[in-house]
Amino acid sequence: MSSWILTLVIFAPLAGVAALALMRGENKRAIERVALGTSLAAFVLAGAAAVLFFQDEPRGGFGLKATYAWLEGGAAEDALSGGRGPIGGVDVAYRVGVDGISLWLLLLTAFLTPLAIASSFSAIQERVREYYILMLLLETAMLGVFCALDLLLFYIFFEFTLVPLFFLIGIWGGSERRRASVKFFLYTLAGSMITFAGVLYTAYYAYRSGAGAFTLNLEELMRLSRAGAFPAGVQGWIFLSFAAGFAIKVPLFPLHTWLPLAHTEAPTAGSVILAGVLLKLGTYGFCRLSLPLLPEASRAFAPALAVLAIIGIVYTALAAWVQTDVKKLVAYSSVSHLGFCMLGLFSMKLAGMNGAVMYMINHGLSTGALFLVIGCLYERYHTREFAKLGGLARRMPVMAFFLIVFTLSSIGLPGLNGFIGEFLVLLGTATSGSTMDGLAPGPLGFPYAAVAATGIILGAVYMLYMCGRVLFGPLVEPVQAGGVGHGERDEHGDSSGHGGHHDDGHGGGDLTRREVAILAPIAVLCLILGVYPKPMLASIQAAAEANVFSVDDRRQAEGGAAPGGWRAAQGNAEFGMQNAELTCHRAEDPRGPVVFLAPHSACLLPSSGVSGALRAGRAASVASTGGAQ
Amino acid sequence: MTFAALGHLLPELILVVGACALLVLGVTRAARRPGMLAASSCGVCAAALAATLWAGIPDGTAELPGLALSGMTFYVRWLTLLVGLLLILLNWRQADPAEQGEYLSLLLFTMLGVLLTASASDVVVLFFAIELVSVPTYVLVALSRRDARASEAAVKYFFLGALSAALLAYGLGFLYGAAGSTSLSAMARAIGSGAAVSGLALIGLLLVFGGLSFKIAAVPFHAYAADVYEGAAAPVTALLGFIPKFAGFVALIRVLDVFGWAMSPGVFWLIWATAALTMTVGNVLGLIQKNVKRMLAYSSIAHSGYMLVALLVGPRLGEGPMSNGVTALLFYMAVYGVMNLGAFAALSSFRRGEDEVERVEDLSGLARSQPGAALALGVCLFSLMGFPPTAGFLGKVYIFSGAFSVGADHAYAGGLAVLAVIGVLNSAVAAAYYLRVAAVCWVSPERERLAAASGMSGRLGLTIAAVAMIALFVSPQALLSKARTASEPVLSGRVAKGVSRLGLDGTSVPSDVSAEGYVALSE
Repeated sequence: MSSWILTLVIFAPLAGVAALALMRGENKRAIERVALGTSLAAFVLAGAAAVLFFQDEPRGGFGLKATYAWLEGGAAEDALSGGRGPIGGVDVAYRVGVDGISLWLLLLTAFLTPLAIASSFSAIQERVREYYILMLLLETAMLGVFCALDLLLFYIFFEFTLVPLFFLIGIWGGSERRRASVKFFLYTLAGSMITFAGVLYTAYYAYRSGAGAFTLNLEELMRLSRAGAFPAGVQGWIFLSFAAGFAIKVPLFPLHTWLPLAHTEAPTAGSVILAGVLLKLGTYGFCRLSLPLLPEASRAFAPALAVLAIIGIVYTALAAWVQTDVKKLVAYSSVSHLGFCMLGLFSMKLAGMNGAVMYMINHGLSTGALFLVIGCLYERYHTREFAKLGGLARRMPVMAFFLIVFTLSSIGLPGLNGFIGEFLVLLGTATSGSTMDGLAPGPLGFPYAAVAATGIILGAVYMLYMCGRVLFGPLVEPVQAGGVGHGERDEHGDSSGHGGHHDDGHGGGDLTRREVAILAPIAVLCLILGVYPKPMLASIQAAAEANVFSVDDRRQAEGGAAPGGWRAAQGNAEFGMQNAELTCHRAEDPRGPVVFLAPHSACLLPSSGVSGALRAGRAASVASTGGAQ
Repeated sequence: MTFAALGHLLPELILVVGACALLVLGVTRAARRPGMLAASSCGVCAAALAATLWAGIPDGTAELPGLALSGMTFYVRWLTLLVGLLLILLNWRQADPAEQGEYLSLLLFTMLGVLLTASASDVVVLFFAIELVSVPTYVLVALSRRDARASEAAVKYFFLGALSAALLAYGLGFLYGAAGSTSLSAMARAIGSGAAVSGLALIGLLLVFGGLSFKIAAVPFHAYAADVYEGAAAPVTALLGFIPKFAGFVALIRVLDVFGWAMSPGVFWLIWATAALTMTVGNVLGLIQKNVKRMLAYSSIAHSGYMLVALLVGPRLGEGPMSNGVTALLFYMAVYGVMNLGAFAALSSFRRGEDEVERVEDLSGLARSQPGAALALGVCLFSLMGFPPTAGFLGKVYIFSGAFSVGADHAYAGGLAVLAVIGVLNSAVAAAYYLRVAAVCWVSPERERLAAASGMSGRLGLTIAAVAMIALFVSPQALLSKARTASEPVLSGRVAKGVSRLGLDGTSVPSDVSAEGYVALSE
């Protein structure tokens, strides 16, 4: 079961696609139900995957793994090579698995998609079937990216996300949808084609440096990287090629110009998915591929990327401030927020890493929710202009409540989720130079954190300003809501969706029960993660140590031979591996400053009695003397 | 040659007899029954394919004058015949029913030319085979529709084709002069042992490359492509995108075989520049086209550029499992042939009034009137774009992996890496114009309802192409191992020794591989 579950999760939405394609007639309700049901099923499966993951796996490593041969050379080729080694040794396969980082992003995707689908019920009136088919295709692609453990598979899913979103924006978008979708597609494609070249080069270099096969197996590449297979120069080129694709996706200043346009033109659900999940593909790429495979290059390029991230944070915060369109403001705030993610990742500290991953989740929740609220507004008023909206708190108190909650979450109010991520990112960045967490000093430092922190202040300014304008003050509503929107929408002759057919006559009724049902789960999650982030942080940290900073390869080399040897102690409360409980052992590797962390024995106990304990002790001693080898 | 040896040429013989029979059938009364001739040509093609598969991979022992059967022969045979079946399907109906017999027999003859190109072991036979590919295509362009543009295209194609034939003949003459024999294996021996006159051989190679560049529509011999594609009817254009190109690349492989794939800097950079220019010119000019067929013509030029990258890598430059450029090229050729055919099949399955679909806007709103066809066309377009999950993506994986598989210490490593980057950037440029067609189909409102062309053959071809693109992505192994087998002898056996004396060598040739290895394989 556990080896099948991820495949089921990834391809569950495709079952919905097939069902929708085969359905007869254009029964809108039925189509919507099938789409929502499929995405909910995918969510349930993802939840099951999470349960299985935490049951099955030693923390840190990849769990729920599955492999199916795909591009593997057969025996015939080996015979032809005449014993000159594996000439058919092409090891590119369908490999999936999750760790404590990707699992949360997987859950986020599976959580947001049904909400995005449910939010489209009233907005999408045209070409309904195609719309939900594309949404489900997009979900498959996103889930696939987070599960992929093979670089080519990762790339395939990463790239395929473009196609459904291109059509989602192009068909159901706003008045400039053609331009927005084409720009979005070509911009991100141009970058990712360079990433493609980098991926192929990585595979060749892996072959050359002793993998024995043209391999894109992520774990094998991580092993090679730890063994020093990639010299600094090669790392630099590969890093730049990866960065070309990921930085555009994040998006990093000055490559962010496609994003505000795409966001403003996209239908609400498209914006939710775009901000909630797709932008994370960029940061996830950095975190999954660049940092672990190319540590030296990451270190070398970190200051440059951090400077770009900080410029982005401040610049787009200022840009957001002067927007007159609510959606555009939130779009710019996305760029600013993702800058914090980048900063956290490249602080190369556990705190920063934890913060960055947490930030990805938080941003997905709060910004996704903000786009949903704005979508609700737009459906009622057919405008998003500040000048035409004001004082809506009186008209729509429930909407006002949600808008304020998500705004506060977005600006990082303590007690809500945003705060934790933001705090950890800044902590990691500021203490990047230290060795508090047992890692080698990171490339960033206090000045970076200081400048970036201004972005938080600016963030609070423009978000609250937005709230104030829209919710409070004298009531301003556009006259004759509905007519205006229809007019500008139908100029191309095909009405594109946002028909606003459910208008109740006077423009602004408060949120319907459906809309509340969509927003409430997100609000609850924001609160839970804000108050009790510990389980999430613990698993992120374990994964970061194992798969990003490779701090415990010695530990695994020793204990990993016996499966289950490194089970979490059952009695240990809620995955309680915290910084304080870790005993740090520094060891200088001959290749450079690689640092190993060994867990305190109180924290991790081998599942099987004395021999396990002995193994633990040996692991710790190996870790501490590891440099000698 | 014994009579029994003819058995080895069964597929070719079936094609010759079938083509002649169709010529005769075309003037009889039987031809008046609709679909009769097309069905019989399908039968001929299928029989040849069955004979190919039944014979399997030739072991190379057959004694045939001027022909040598190899793994390459097998690959070219089945691929040509299989794609040929699809082409006949597209060409089910002709502009003038009275010409149907000639038309279909020419189609079979041009396929026969491709088959012979793969087996030719003598330059005279090679030249003959290439001309057998070309001459029927000139006529097919003219016959393809009753339109002055078709005649104009045919004349243009013919004159430029004649020029390229002259270049090719001249170049082959130089090769003969340099080596003293018309046999390819004797040439390889002479060149390998240093007995050949190196200057003459080099001039010969350049002229042959020029002549074949025309067949594959590589810059600077690409100029005819757009006009000819535009002038010919879509079903014939589908043929032009595959048959001459395949023959050209196979001939190039055979000629470079003679030179043992030794790439002197001059030859290397010449092919390098041709590849880079072909990709870039094709894609940039593709961007500004408004006519779909012209656009696909430039796309076909660009795809030749990608395949030239694979040709440049060849079987010997790289190291590692993905390094055989010939494998990548053969794989890509198969994928390209089918996806390109799919795109033209889509164009030929709709009519706008009396006319063919020509402008990009003609396809507006296709997704709403014909969702199935639009989906299939979309798959083919994304495959041409090199987008997952389609076989076009895998084709690019193989080609560009090959370009990266050259060790960093190799003199050409940097050049090939740059070429690969030019290639992937070109893919991004190309995406812009393919995307425009996809966007028009799916996003734009319907302007004028397109009528489905009479007959289902175009639709069927389109569907087969689209399904094949997805299927080959999910499971590329079968095709891939065939391509590997076809290119293996090129890798292991036919390496000429001592080419460095000619000054044609950029690499160090392993001395344990002798020129005799080549001879043993090909004779």
